[in-house]
Amino acid sequence: MNNNNKRRTYFISGFFVLLLVLIILAWQTLGTAPFVRTSLSGLTLGSLFFMVAAGLTLIFGLMDVLNFAHGSMFMLGAYMGWQFYTNPTFIFGTAPLWLAFATGVFLLPILKPFLIRLELSESWQNALPRLAYALMVVFLLIGLLGVNIMEMADTAMVAITTTVVSNPLSEIGPQEPISSFWIRPLALFLAGAMTAVGASKPGNKKEYATDENRSRNLIILAFLIITTIILTIFREALPVAVLLMNGNLRFALAILTAVLFGFMFGMVIEITFIRPLYQRHMFSILMTLGLAFVIGEVVHILWSPLAYQMVRPPFFAQPGKAETVWEWFQNGNATLNVFGVTFPTYRLFIIVLGLLMFVSLIILMTKTRMGMIIRAGVQDPEMVEALGINVRQVFTLVFALGVAMAALGGIGAAPFIPVQPLMGDQFLMQGFITVVLGGMGSYIGAFVGAITLGMARAFGDYFALRLSLSPAIAEASTVIIMIIVLLVRPSGLFGKKE
Amino acid sequence: MKQTQKTDLILIVDHIQTYIEQFHILQNVSVEVPRNSITVMLGRNGAGKTTTLKSILGLTPPREGKIIFDGMEIQGKRAFNIVNLGIGFVPEHRAIFRQLSVFENLKLAERTKGDLDRSGDFIFDLFPDLKRLIKLPGNHLSGGQQQMLAVARALVPENKLLLIDEPSEGLAPILIQQMMEAIQKLSATTTVLLVEQNFIMASQLADYYYIIDDGKSVHNGLMKDLIKNEDLVKEYLGATAGKVVSGGLQ
Repeated sequence: MNNNNKRRTYFISGFFVLLLVLIILAWQTLGTAPFVRTSLSGLTLGSLFFMVAAGLTLIFGLMDVLNFAHGSMFMLGAYMGWQFYTNPTFIFGTAPLWLAFATGVFLLPILKPFLIRLELSESWQNALPRLAYALMVVFLLIGLLGVNIMEMADTAMVAITTTVVSNPLSEIGPQEPISSFWIRPLALFLAGAMTAVGASKPGNKKEYATDENRSRNLIILAFLIITTIILTIFREALPVAVLLMNGNLRFALAILTAVLFGFMFGMVIEITFIRPLYQRHMFSILMTLGLAFVIGEVVHILWSPLAYQMVRPPFFAQPGKAETVWEWFQNGNATLNVFGVTFPTYRLFIIVLGLLMFVSLIILMTKTRMGMIIRAGVQDPEMVEALGINVRQVFTLVFALGVAMAALGGIGAAPFIPVQPLMGDQFLMQGFITVVLGGMGSYIGAFVGAITLGMARAFGDYFALRLSLSPAIAEASTVIIMIIVLLVRPSGLFGKKE
Repeated sequence: MKQTQKTDLILIVDHIQTYIEQFHILQNVSVEVPRNSITVMLGRNGAGKTTTLKSILGLTPPREGKIIFDGMEIQGKRAFNIVNLGIGFVPEHRAIFRQLSVFENLKLAERTKGDLDRSGDFIFDLFPDLKRLIKLPGNHLSGGQQQMLAVARALVPENKLLLIDEPSEGLAPILIQQMMEAIQKLSATTTVLLVEQNFIMASQLADYYYIIDDGKSVHNGLMKDLIKNEDLVKEYLGATAGKVVSGGLQ
């Protein structure tokens, strides 16, 4: 094992020396300005690759699940952020509905300890969940029939083509009046509650649940109920308030929305679709692949296959070049002078975002108990459980975290590449190559791999252009790097798993 | 010798049957562990001793039968819930976390904040080596040090019962001696259920024995009675163990 460690160290240092030589060579042949410009482009791409790859590698490392839906989650993050930034009618219009449903489902840990203690005959034990699920469907129909989701989804699309810059509110259309709308969240709450009743298997003595955390659960439930009511009441006022906000603040909130959405979406997907399939890897791969198609089609239906360009927030949008960082911070210029090169400030922001994510990930993995559990779980989840840690919950959190990171990448990319249903595919592909290159399960490997691939793409593009070769060479370069590394070291740069 | 009374039992495994995938591994295992004693499960490789421990922990939940720990039925509960009732587990093959440092391995075993501060002195008193190695990653430890860490990890929270799987496996004789002394010291404050292939070690440590054979518990009683019963030992544990009993190896 020590010998193996040594070889790994040699290999990694060799790889870095090679990179350094290549970088210096490129610098010498290109000259400073093109070199800086190309490197920064490479870092921007690498940063986005990393945001996709980090989640992929964490999820694979801990749970052995290859998440083919990760690109779709990247895309969903972009769509959610774009919606929030351009016209949040869709988000605020539907939020009370699904939040009400989630609140209902959250009754599960509170109801279950009581329900399983009920004395029920066997036939009732079988019938009650079915009855509950049937009622759930009825409530869902009551709650959702006639909701004009398409129209709400359209608002941001229309906003892009018709909104006058000075009046962001011109596209806020009227919605269903609260006097008739209130029944919908209520029906969805009841549908959620029925799901909770069905899922807790009343009367089943083999089930187990504690009410240890009852007070904590009740507080969360109260919080959810209050949030749902507030969102229901201010359903129409909130989009207006958001659109009247300062653009930079709105963008920050859009990022937060995308990340929060990614986290919740990841949790729901893990609990409902991935969790039952941990013992069957092939099935979980097929499941994520299927999810990717479904998500893509739903986005197709909601927002049509058209590509949208999200407007850059004002902090990155004023025309003109800033000479110093300070000047940029004051004026919000679109470009900045970096070592004599004019470079878009928004791309610098993406680089900073990626670096911030990497640093937070390092802190999470090395300094917190959660990180310790993840590192231990990568090796032996069963033993982690035997220490008294709820590994299933950790799996859910890590999956949600991975999806949230992909969503962050999505909203980060949205003002920079067109928002369209296939935008995640390219990043999923590059994300997989990154993960394989860096070593399955290693987040440091994902970072090094992402930066390497981003650089390869940028320099490949540059040379292809200069030597008038096909740009396909740049795209192939990432795969070639992966093949070379895999030939020398099959487990990837930082890989420990085979 | 301690008297066995029903009320004194910390763990009752009552006729459990466990399947791993389609294989019927445990066909009928019953074990009773008296409080503040050392009970050892003996038997050939593949007899189902490790599976019995894992069934108690809920890692391979039994399909039939009851498990009562400290007066509470625990079969069917999730493993982390069972463990949190006060069971420490030392797995076979010293499954410590190799990517984590010794300190992190111990810290991870905490159930409530400050467990390690409370039990640290006791642990480092038992295994002084670990204090010196505290910052080293797990994969830099020798086999013996890894085994000590695996035992130490189970001592971080306060446990009513320790399940220890093959503590002597692959250890040098001097380390086996040290491990035996450590387990002896532990039994002063807690109860130990041991799986052990090394019959010398088992016979010197344990108060009670169970013999598991082919997924069934076939014999049990006081250890001091088993040592006298050469035929029984030979039948289930092989000739080497039989020699120990007849005095050949001691």
